Amino acid sequence: MTPMLKRILIVFGIGVVVLLVVGFINGAIGAAFLGRDAGFLPAPHVELAPPEVFKLGGLSVTNAMLSSWVTTVVLILFFVVGTRRKAMVPKGLQNVAEWAIESLYNFVESGVGQRYGRSFFPIIATIFLFVSFNAWLALIPIYQSLWVSPDGVNKVHLLRSAGTDLNMPLAIALVSAVFVEYWGLRVHKIGYLREFVRFGTLYRGLRRFSLPEIFSGLIDIFVGFLELISHFVRIVSFTFRLFGNMTAGEIVLLISAFLISFVFTLPFYGLELLVGFIQALIFAGLTLAFVMVAVASHGDEAH
Amino acid sequence: MLLSILAAEEEAGGIAALGFDLPSLIVYLVNFTILLVVLYLFAYKPVLRIMDQRSDRIREGLETAERVRQEAAVQQVEMEKRFEEGRQEGQALLAQAREMADRYREEERGKARQEAEAFVARARDDIQRERDEAIDQVRRHFAELAILAAERVIERSLDESAHRDIIEKVLEESPSINGN
Repeated sequence: MTPMLKRILIVFGIGVVVLLVVGFINGAIGAAFLGRDAGFLPAPHVELAPPEVFKLGGLSVTNAMLSSWVTTVVLILFFVVGTRRKAMVPKGLQNVAEWAIESLYNFVESGVGQRYGRSFFPIIATIFLFVSFNAWLALIPIYQSLWVSPDGVNKVHLLRSAGTDLNMPLAIALVSAVFVEYWGLRVHKIGYLREFVRFGTLYRGLRRFSLPEIFSGLIDIFVGFLELISHFVRIVSFTFRLFGNMTAGEIVLLISAFLISFVFTLPFYGLELLVGFIQALIFAGLTLAFVMVAVASHGDEAH
Repeated sequence: MLLSILAAEEEAGGIAALGFDLPSLIVYLVNFTILLVVLYLFAYKPVLRIMDQRSDRIREGLETAERVRQEAAVQQVEMEKRFEEGRQEGQALLAQAREMADRYREEERGKARQEAEAFVARARDDIQRERDEAIDQVRRHFAELAILAAERVIERSLDESAHRDIIEKVLEESPSINGN
């Protein structure tokens, strides 16, 4: 068995090296060295706005949008089929699906405890699943190789990771923000707004006419204003973190494949798998952290 | 309202070049909402329910085990108590039986002694009677012999009845032959 395995490994290693050499000669770097004017692959051109693939009614469906639908369908199929049978002792797909949901639930519950765990879990889990599956599906080799030609002249990718479309991260960032503010308001009622509008200290200072207190009251108002701004900045940072990571990842893959055609991209694929997971975790985890802060008691009454 | 403000801000900042597009944004929002609802109804809810059921079942199992353990402990105490009772009862019975046996033995022994004594007394009576009889017979023979001897000696026949009276008198005077 072991010599057999060794032989397989040797053949595999030789194959990798040969492909690497061929890829190097084929690719843009090799082409430049050998004086050819073009590599094996066409030079990638990056456009941030996703192109339209077809029109649905008045709506122009872009390839990124289509990809988010694919992600949605895959997720629904995976989890609905995976959780259809409700055996007490799960196995196979049911086990995987339940394990995923259970892990996500434990992740949420470990953060906020049982009281809010059930309420927060669906949104946090969906954010994680949507972002990660969207990123991972785009790494399936054939995914980015499908072309359509909507106007009969230009060829466009049929599918493109939805994270590379600014609107997708923005949409989830908005969901996250609305979710956080909703829970803040729901738990603290109108008192939640006191986090942003902090006139209390200034008012007290004016009544007692103590200058230090008036001064700290003014600072408090400024802090409240900063707090308000930070909540909007969250949306922007959420959006551009995911958008930037996904776009950069796609560009890295395209460029690496363009420079050296074969094998060379594989480490980057691995990296992108990790990035997809980490970005999903960050998106879900930050949303969880923000909502935890929002429902936590602010201690305003104690001031 | 928030969306339009954001849209206005971002477009004013030249962010449209990055691909901002309000219809796309709305489509993504709708998409996400659908995903959320479907997953909630068909994945999260059933799985969480199953998780709850499982933990319920485990808790029930643990509780049952605890209850059974306690019941077993109680039963063991009960059994030990009953065993002790049985042991004491058995000992009481044994003591009673031993006492009864002793009494019976005493009774039997007494009875046997009485019987033996009665037997011995009877035997003694019998012996006495036999002896009296034997003495009687001997005395009779002796008388006959004496008569015979006297007849021989005096060579004449005496009146037998007168003679017998004489012998009786002699015998009664002789203490060695008298049984009493």
